[in-house]
Amino acid sequence: MRISKTIYLFFLPGLFLYSIFFLYPTVSALFYSFTDWDGLSDAYQFVGIGNYERALTGDSVFRKTVGNNLKFMLMVVIFQTLAALAFAMIVLKNTKTNLFLRALYFFPTILSSVSVAFIWSFIYDPSLGILNQILGLLGLDFLQQNWLGNSDIAIYSLAITQIWFHAGQMLIIFVAGLQAIPEDLYEVAKIEGASKWQTFRKVTWPLLAPSATIVIAYTTIQSFKAFDLVFAMTGGGPNNSTEIIATYIFDVAFRSYNFGYASSISVLFMIIIAFITFLQFKALRSDRISY
Amino acid sequence: MISKKSSIPAFFLIPLLTLAGCAGESPDSSSESENGSEDRTQISFIHWRGEDKEVFDDIIAQFEEEYPEIGVEMNIYPSEQYQATGQRMLTDGSTGDVFTSFPGAQFEAIANAGFFEDLSGEDFVGNFDESLITVGEKDGQQLALPYQLVFNMPVYNKGMFDELGLEVPKSWTEFQEMADTLLENDITPIAFPGADIGPNQFMNSMMMNNAPDEDVFQKLQNGEESLTNEWWVKTLEDFQLLEQKGYIQPDALGTSQDSAMAMVANEEAAMLATGSYHMASLLDLNPELELDLMAPITVEESEAEYEGINTATFMLAVNSNSEKKEQAKEFIRFLSRPEIASQYANETGQHLTVNDVEYESEVLQNTAYWIDERKTRFQPRFLITNAQVEAAVLSSIENVLGGADPMEAAEEAQQIVEENLE
Repeated sequence: MRISKTIYLFFLPGLFLYSIFFLYPTVSALFYSFTDWDGLSDAYQFVGIGNYERALTGDSVFRKTVGNNLKFMLMVVIFQTLAALAFAMIVLKNTKTNLFLRALYFFPTILSSVSVAFIWSFIYDPSLGILNQILGLLGLDFLQQNWLGNSDIAIYSLAITQIWFHAGQMLIIFVAGLQAIPEDLYEVAKIEGASKWQTFRKVTWPLLAPSATIVIAYTTIQSFKAFDLVFAMTGGGPNNSTEIIATYIFDVAFRSYNFGYASSISVLFMIIIAFITFLQFKALRSDRISY
Repeated sequence: MISKKSSIPAFFLIPLLTLAGCAGESPDSSSESENGSEDRTQISFIHWRGEDKEVFDDIIAQFEEEYPEIGVEMNIYPSEQYQATGQRMLTDGSTGDVFTSFPGAQFEAIANAGFFEDLSGEDFVGNFDESLITVGEKDGQQLALPYQLVFNMPVYNKGMFDELGLEVPKSWTEFQEMADTLLENDITPIAFPGADIGPNQFMNSMMMNNAPDEDVFQKLQNGEESLTNEWWVKTLEDFQLLEQKGYIQPDALGTSQDSAMAMVANEEAAMLATGSYHMASLLDLNPELELDLMAPITVEESEAEYEGINTATFMLAVNSNSEKKEQAKEFIRFLSRPEIASQYANETGQHLTVNDVEYESEVLQNTAYWIDERKTRFQPRFLITNAQVEAAVLSSIENVLGGADPMEAAEEAQQIVEENLE
């Protein structure tokens, strides 16, 4: 079939917007990453790979933020995916109760991140917070914590909030994926005498792999970019224990007025996300089968 | 039905027309204004004090009545956003003819970018207390004029102290004795909002006498001083003592300023480790409170050089890129008049750097003696001009309150300082 050349003109508006809002900032960030631009002055100097050298070898806070981000990402990806999948299987059938529950689980996703941060900061407050009070009422005083003030656990407390915030969104993707699996495959598995685990492992999971790939990749990117929640709940503290790459870029650019260096961290950030997402796609692709 | 051929131009025209429509309403400083005056010059005033909107609206109305040829358009941004984007808005001169700046890192960045108009020699500079505006000077030029004067030191419940027969301590030994007495009476000596502003406020009074040299942070940034030296390690040890002896509440690093304020308002705690700007809010929560200010003296009485901390902030400035500098200066001149400054001070509950201000509220009157009768020093934190060094200094406090050894916390912070040496 011959496609008319005029059809390519329809790409132009999209390409135009994409160039303005994505390509231009990306190329600019790459350009400024080789400079010492402060973000304000007209003048700047080229510093070669100096900014990258500093980030990779001479900036202990940046290294710490990468570690924090990996901890945060691992916890969110593992537990958010598991929680979303488990709830999706529970509310799979289109009954009235399940439709209500799906809406209920999805509800946090529509809240603004600042509202979520405010609600959870109150929940986590060591003296007035409802979490410690409930633990106290249940006689579980030994579990009471300084959830956001203890540098050993603060990043995990934030991860729990992130999971609560976004698990409902992933649940919907899993429900769609699960509902697309043909019912007769389960009937065959049943006739063959497969256990529930075997059915899940050999039927459900492989056919759910495309949805899982989307969920895991999206959750990974989302957890790297959880700027607003972290910024509003802890501001990266205490003692940089919740500082993640996105909040650090903000600090370097807008508090230290070092746009050149912040741009180089942004480029490294992009590379890290791309690399991890690539690994995930590779790993999950090997799990895919078709019947 | 639209044909393929006719749909193509329409496809491009619609966004263009939309853009054109959006562009049609751009503000024009010399265009006809709301009151119909065609020769009116509109100036832009940007700042971060949302809580002052009402009083500024009133002051601007008075200004516009007296100067009908000048209109003032005020835009207020949240302080975080202002710190992040305020200076960007100054670049082309169309916004922020009059703008405000924080002292410290933001002032330095704007000064280095050349956005401050030199106000030296302007007659209205004389309306300000000379000793309180030095923070707005750089290289012999008066680049900005701090308007507000706050005391970043603990607010204490004076009534409670009187009831328990406690005197304001004059040494570290006396301070600990006072704190022990409060503990014996089941009162937490200090409510410390460690989750947000606590470390950056309380560090000032905790270090003021441990490091009386006001250039100590400049030397730190030049590599001539170190956080592992006595002045800072002792400050961290003092913080550790406060935590270990229960002089600050448990889980202080998870306590927000609202929770800490509630503790003081409910008289569960005797002091709030923030500053004078919280006195009005505390009185709103509990009008029965009798409040004053008190900084911990962390050395012996004979060694103490300072009694408290002051910060001249909300620095008024004129954008060097502005085409309406004279009108902008006229507005600052108006703000610096004693009667206008008095209105601002009393309606916002702030002390000001302007001379001859008449404070009417009881709290402002009762604490005004800190302006000229007490020896205070400018907030040391604002003398750290590198934000990453500042973050390292504050992190070391959080590290110690989290259980780290003071020397180890100081070494960790010093490493970050060295990574950021100029």
